[in-house]
Amino acid sequence: MSLTGRDVLLRSIGRQRRHVVLSSFMIAGHQAGEALVPFVIGVVIDQAVSGGTGRLAFWLGVLGAVYAGLSFNYRFGDRAAERASEQAAHELRLDVTRRVLDHRGGAETGRLPGALVSIATSDAARVGVVNLCVPAALAACAGLLVTAALLLSISLPLGLLVLLGTPPLLWLSHRLGKPLEDRSETEQEHAAAASGVAADLVAGLRVLKGLGAEDAAIAKYGATSRTSLHATIKAVRAEAAYNGMMLALNGAFLALIALVGGRLAAGGDITVGQLISTAGLAQYLLTPLTTFSWVNGEFAQGRASAGRIASVLSSPPAVTPGPMAVPEQVTGKITLRGVGGGPLREVDLDVAPGECLGVVATDPAAATALLACLGRAADPERGTVELDGVPLTDLALEGLRGAVLVSAHDARLFDGTVRENLGPVTETVLAAAGADEVASALPDGLDSVLDERGRSLSGGQRQRVALARALAADPPVLVAHDPTTAVDTVTEARIAEGVRRLRRDRTTILVTTSPALLAATDRVVLLHEGSITAQGAHAALLSDNPIYRTAVLS
Amino acid sequence: MSSERELLPVASGRRTASAVGALLKPRAATMATAMAALVAGTAIGLTVPPLIGRIVDLVTEGRDPGAITWIVLLLAGAALAEGVLSAVGIAQLAKAGESALAGLRERFMARALRLPLDQVERAGSGDLTSRVTNDVTVIAEAVRQALPAMVRSLLIIGLTLGGLAVLDWRFLLAALIAVPVQLHTVRWYARRATPLYATQRMAVGAQQHDLLGTIDGAQTVRSFRLTADHVARVDTRSRAAVELLLRGIALQTRFYSRLHISEYLGLCAVLIVGYALVRDGSATIGAATAAALYFHGLFGPINIALSLVDDAQAAASGLTRLVGVADLPDTGTSAPLVDETPLPDETPLPDETPLPDETPLLDEASVEVTGVSHGYTPGHPVLHEVSLSLAPGERVALVGASGAGKTTLGKLIAGVHRPVEGSVRVGGVEPEPGKAVALVTQEVHVFAGTLAEDLRLAAPEATDDDLRSALERVGALAWAEELPDGLGTEVGDGGHSLTVAQAQQLAFARLILADPSIVILDEATAEAGSAGARALERAAEAALEGRTALVVAHRLSQAAAADRIVVLSGGRVAEAGRHEDLIAAEGGYAALWSAWSAQRQ
Repeated sequence: MSLTGRDVLLRSIGRQRRHVVLSSFMIAGHQAGEALVPFVIGVVIDQAVSGGTGRLAFWLGVLGAVYAGLSFNYRFGDRAAERASEQAAHELRLDVTRRVLDHRGGAETGRLPGALVSIATSDAARVGVVNLCVPAALAACAGLLVTAALLLSISLPLGLLVLLGTPPLLWLSHRLGKPLEDRSETEQEHAAAASGVAADLVAGLRVLKGLGAEDAAIAKYGATSRTSLHATIKAVRAEAAYNGMMLALNGAFLALIALVGGRLAAGGDITVGQLISTAGLAQYLLTPLTTFSWVNGEFAQGRASAGRIASVLSSPPAVTPGPMAVPEQVTGKITLRGVGGGPLREVDLDVAPGECLGVVATDPAAATALLACLGRAADPERGTVELDGVPLTDLALEGLRGAVLVSAHDARLFDGTVRENLGPVTETVLAAAGADEVASALPDGLDSVLDERGRSLSGGQRQRVALARALAADPPVLVAHDPTTAVDTVTEARIAEGVRRLRRDRTTILVTTSPALLAATDRVVLLHEGSITAQGAHAALLSDNPIYRTAVLS
Repeated sequence: MSSERELLPVASGRRTASAVGALLKPRAATMATAMAALVAGTAIGLTVPPLIGRIVDLVTEGRDPGAITWIVLLLAGAALAEGVLSAVGIAQLAKAGESALAGLRERFMARALRLPLDQVERAGSGDLTSRVTNDVTVIAEAVRQALPAMVRSLLIIGLTLGGLAVLDWRFLLAALIAVPVQLHTVRWYARRATPLYATQRMAVGAQQHDLLGTIDGAQTVRSFRLTADHVARVDTRSRAAVELLLRGIALQTRFYSRLHISEYLGLCAVLIVGYALVRDGSATIGAATAAALYFHGLFGPINIALSLVDDAQAAASGLTRLVGVADLPDTGTSAPLVDETPLPDETPLPDETPLPDETPLLDEASVEVTGVSHGYTPGHPVLHEVSLSLAPGERVALVGASGAGKTTLGKLIAGVHRPVEGSVRVGGVEPEPGKAVALVTQEVHVFAGTLAEDLRLAAPEATDDDLRSALERVGALAWAEELPDGLGTEVGDGGHSLTVAQAQQLAFARLILADPSIVILDEATAEAGSAGARALERAAEAALEGRTALVVAHRLSQAAAADRIVVLSGGRVAEAGRHEDLIAAEGGYAALWSAWSAQRQ
């Protein structure tokens, strides 16, 4: 079942096979044309020596036909190949996105969001490029065959010299160039560091300014930039030396062809035009051969990228869906039995339908673990969580999340207007979350656009919009984690009242240590050292339980 | 919330050219060596077609084949010389270009990091970020790849045309037949390509931005069952980007198809002229051969030069944006928004108003806010005639509902903005951002690099022991030492990732190391969740010890612990005084306090 990079690569080519096949034929036609041009030039020159005007016109016509053919094939072949490449990348991008957002979760485990985005963009693009490589490689073969046929038709010894001489030439240049190339690559990595540091410093600009650390940052950047400069200059020097060597080697090979060809022509074995054709073809021959090495490199990168994509697509799910659909009518009874693992030791808890329960956790990690179990972001190591008497693990995931909504403390807002973030929402809901005030403070009310995923809002504003979104979803069971930590006390008290009124008949679990919210609950449980150690009304716990008091009041 | 953006300045073309000239001037000798080597190398390389032509002539004239050997030796020598000279030329060119680029990016960063924060905010942080990343990358790639390729191609084109003229002026004329078609094609292409690539870049940027939002919020997307929405959104954005990319490809293939026509026309003309000249005896077959080879050899360089026009344009427009910022004068705060005038293109901003020399030097840790009114948009004041003073070492809590102006007042004291009316004095002088007053907000950033490097941004001279003791005081030493390489662990982007609470502790440790006399804490402990907030409050306590502090407090326990409390309401100071006094006064604060403590009893 586990997907390999090879599978991803083959599937990506297979999905685009029509474009790939079409472009392979057309680009092959283009390369054959490119090979014919220097050959025809030689033939035309022979006409200048011996032919008539009519023959010249004929061959110029042939040259025209060659050009028309190569241009047409290039134009539509290249487009088809690029389309195959871009569409393959697009589909992989969607595959990765779907897997990350899948209700089973698990794709984010051990991967930062930035890394996942880079897999969905850069790696997807590199796999897509393989769809460019396949036609290019086939076309290079075609170019090679045409060149070989033309060369051998001119002269067997000269043709053999070119055909057999070129591969060792490339091998030699590769061998001589390899150490230089390696050096250049490692130094390019150093060179890239400068731009990374710059972007990072600008991202932390406010922090730097707040501390007056600009000078230190400038000094840090300056040092990186200098190191980077030295590395770049070294890399370019290595590259320049390599390219210069290639130039010299090619020139020397051309001289060798001129020597042999010139002697053959002097002996009358070939015409001067054929000598020129041979020189031109020898130059062209470098194109398919360098294409092979390009394809080789891209293919290796594509394979590595496909491997990364495969590992995301086949990442083990965090939870597996159950077979049962969630019933239409959910009463909202939640039962935890012996739930343990990580910071949780043994949690037993019954939440009645329609109850508003506060959960105070002395250990933040325990709160997070409890939320993960309730929302089935992860399953507990031991024990069961039930909704209306049915274990959560027996229920379909999407339906379950519709029935039990966990609004995490760090729930994200998305780009778009406030309204788009909230979904269908009523005035009552807005008022209950205190989001009405947020909207009225914004230039276009609910239609104001949130930049940078809501970072243009203050912490308190952001929390109120997120809470309104959770309330607007109106789930049978709502679990909210620290929804008002950045909200001022007065507003917080109003929100507590509003939430309570709005969710009169529906189960609500508030995981928080905020007295304002806890005061509005029916009952509070204290989660201490991994178990429920106390329960009761907020006021009673406050006066009777010292651990509770410390947890709630600082 | 996108109201009108006021982007950072962009330099004019002339100013950019002179800035680039100034950067290159100290490297004139290197540039001259580079050009000399490249010209010599290219010229030697261009002796190849005439030498092959010479072989053709030797063959047609039926001369001794031994003469061919000499020419072949010349060919080999030319190849060697061209290789060596071009390597030297490219390396020297890169040395000059890369050092100039490094100089420019360093100057740019020095200015960018010193830009007044309100100017950056008005431009949107994306503006500066895209200059730092996209523009610098585009220019670096242009210097790295396009510049040498362009120089070499132009040299080959120029010298080849010269070579054609030397063979016979009629060859040159024939070759130039292709030029009108090429010029027309380039203009046709540039007209379409420039706007297309601009929309393309935007579409790709928007797609990436959106994708990051979706993936970063995957947990939220699942909880709220927004998967279908978000997949559709990614699909639409990505498809739009793909279609634009393919339109660019279609344009490019049409561009090269048109160049094929010009190649064919020119090649035919050169061949026909060669035929005619050979027939009437005014040129040898060798000369016609050399002309044909010259022209065939032009295709590559012409394609390279034309395809680089894009890169060159992108680099040039990137340069105007870098020079625009690098040219800004080095100022602290910028003028308030209300009487703003657009930045003139080339004149520097007016200098800061000079500080009055006669101001008596108060204790540098005091803050005096007198009659300050301020607003971000004219007609919508956020603060009304606020007066407030902080004695050295005093801790004042700022209390009030969201939107009461707490953050704005903090920013004015920190010198981020200058008040529209009234005055702010810190230690008797106008505050400069980050100088005497440190501002710590809920925004945390862990700088990429080792943990020690991150901390040393606040105090470059600090010893490892200093770093340890700062971490110790904010309660972060334990986890810091448990990191794989302790203080040497790579953190931030690409390194070990820290929790929000750890990052905030790090911010307090930096504060201790920076050791400012005045600190403004703006909701710096709010985001961590309630249990975490308390640990952070202890860290904040440690960081504030011995400093004058203004704490924007939303937990009244923080307020009660302060020396004095200022209650802001609707942008005005509603009440001010000690906790006990305000309770006794039975005003708004007393009501807040009783509501707050009622929940706790």
